[in-house]
Amino acid sequence: MASSRVSKVKGKVLDIPNPPTIGTATAGAESASVAFTAYSGGKGGPTFSYTAKSNPGSFTGTGTTSPVTVSGLTAGTSYTFTVAGVNPTGTGEYSSASNSITALVGTAYESIATVTVGSGGSSTITFTSIPSTYTHLQIRGIARGSRSDQADGIVAQYNSDTGANYSWHEIQGSGSVAGAVGVANATYMGMQDSMAAQTGGASIFGALVIDILDYANTNKYKTQRSLTGNDRNGAGYVNFSSGGWRNTNAITSIDLKALYGTGFAQYTTFALYGIKGA
Amino acid sequence: MAAGSTYTPIATTTANGSVNSITFNSFSGYTDLVLIFLGKVSSGSGDLALRFNSDTGTNYSNTWLNSQSNGSSGRASSASSITLTESSYLDTVRDTLNIMNIMNYSNSNTYKTVLARSNKAPTGYAVEAKVGLWRSTSAITSITLFSTGSNPNFESGSTFTLYGILAA
Repeated sequence: MASSRVSKVKGKVLDIPNPPTIGTATAGAESASVAFTAYSGGKGGPTFSYTAKSNPGSFTGTGTTSPVTVSGLTAGTSYTFTVAGVNPTGTGEYSSASNSITALVGTAYESIATVTVGSGGSSTITFTSIPSTYTHLQIRGIARGSRSDQADGIVAQYNSDTGANYSWHEIQGSGSVAGAVGVANATYMGMQDSMAAQTGGASIFGALVIDILDYANTNKYKTQRSLTGNDRNGAGYVNFSSGGWRNTNAITSIDLKALYGTGFAQYTTFALYGIKGA
Repeated sequence: MAAGSTYTPIATTTANGSVNSITFNSFSGYTDLVLIFLGKVSSGSGDLALRFNSDTGTNYSNTWLNSQSNGSSGRASSASSITLTESSYLDTVRDTLNIMNIMNYSNSNTYKTVLARSNKAPTGYAVEAKVGLWRSTSAITSITLFSTGSNPNFESGSTFTLYGILAA
């Protein structure tokens, strides 16, 4: 065995791993999941991880167990895959080739960032350095406020603009009546009653889905819409809202704050997603 | 900031006309779930309702807003399901569209909240928004959609599609 093919771990010389037995490859969105069975013949060195490699393209994915995901594939292209064990000495021989798959078209919806509030709470949640490569943004989350007596709302501000450059409207159901609210020349985009309060049990959280449309264009004012609500065993609100930010700048940062209270409670979570256009 | 493709199709079930409930129980590894129902019932009428983890106790509640009479709102407390539509929304003539967001479904710290919107044309409670709560901190491992009232079967061809969204 060539010296380059061996290594010492805690004084022991390792052989390279023997190849696993290839399993089934399954097509994914511009990716594939490659299954295999670990080598169990008792020969060769230990396997620390596995590498799956595509043909064509030699795209690779790594993992410590089956299956391994190989990303970066071109949608519509057919691929087969081989898998090899890896240890500090190097990469072992590759397995035989898998079945052929054709990579699927990728989704237009991508996760960008997530913020989860810790035990101390948080007054503001901020997404910064938002890439301009999407067409629309969506924020999804669950939220709980700091107020002890009643539900709270969430407000959004773009690019740290605290001027009176926003307007927003909403229709809401309180569980007994339907109503509507409109605010012009506001300093934020409001989404009332979208967070649960401390009353009613510490485990109750409101929820929200916010769409921010065509956020990166530099020709139009920006528009947001949302569906929010919190239910506290029937004592809650559900709201549809929309709003505008009178600014043609691309949105590069978003601040989320409490409308009335001091902020967000532990376990509040907001996730930012980007939606691609063609 | 990390970015990754998500909003992944998990499963689609098409009703065959002989069942009044559909259950999904294999959807681990995501942050939120989106469940879309488009269909009607094969006889009578009913509402569309949701239960988690086969819990039939009175551990659910919901608050709704709909377009009846230029806008109305109501609530149900200590219910045995999250009723996603009101007043016999499901019927044999018009398809109902219901998009359900099941938020942060696998965490073990919070009760689970559902945001839903329903549409049915051309008459009745044509537009509706709803927030529902399941008072359990357990991770959701199964979702059952069913028709209430006389429990009519879902019309053949009605579809139930489940998506998973994974946060970065």
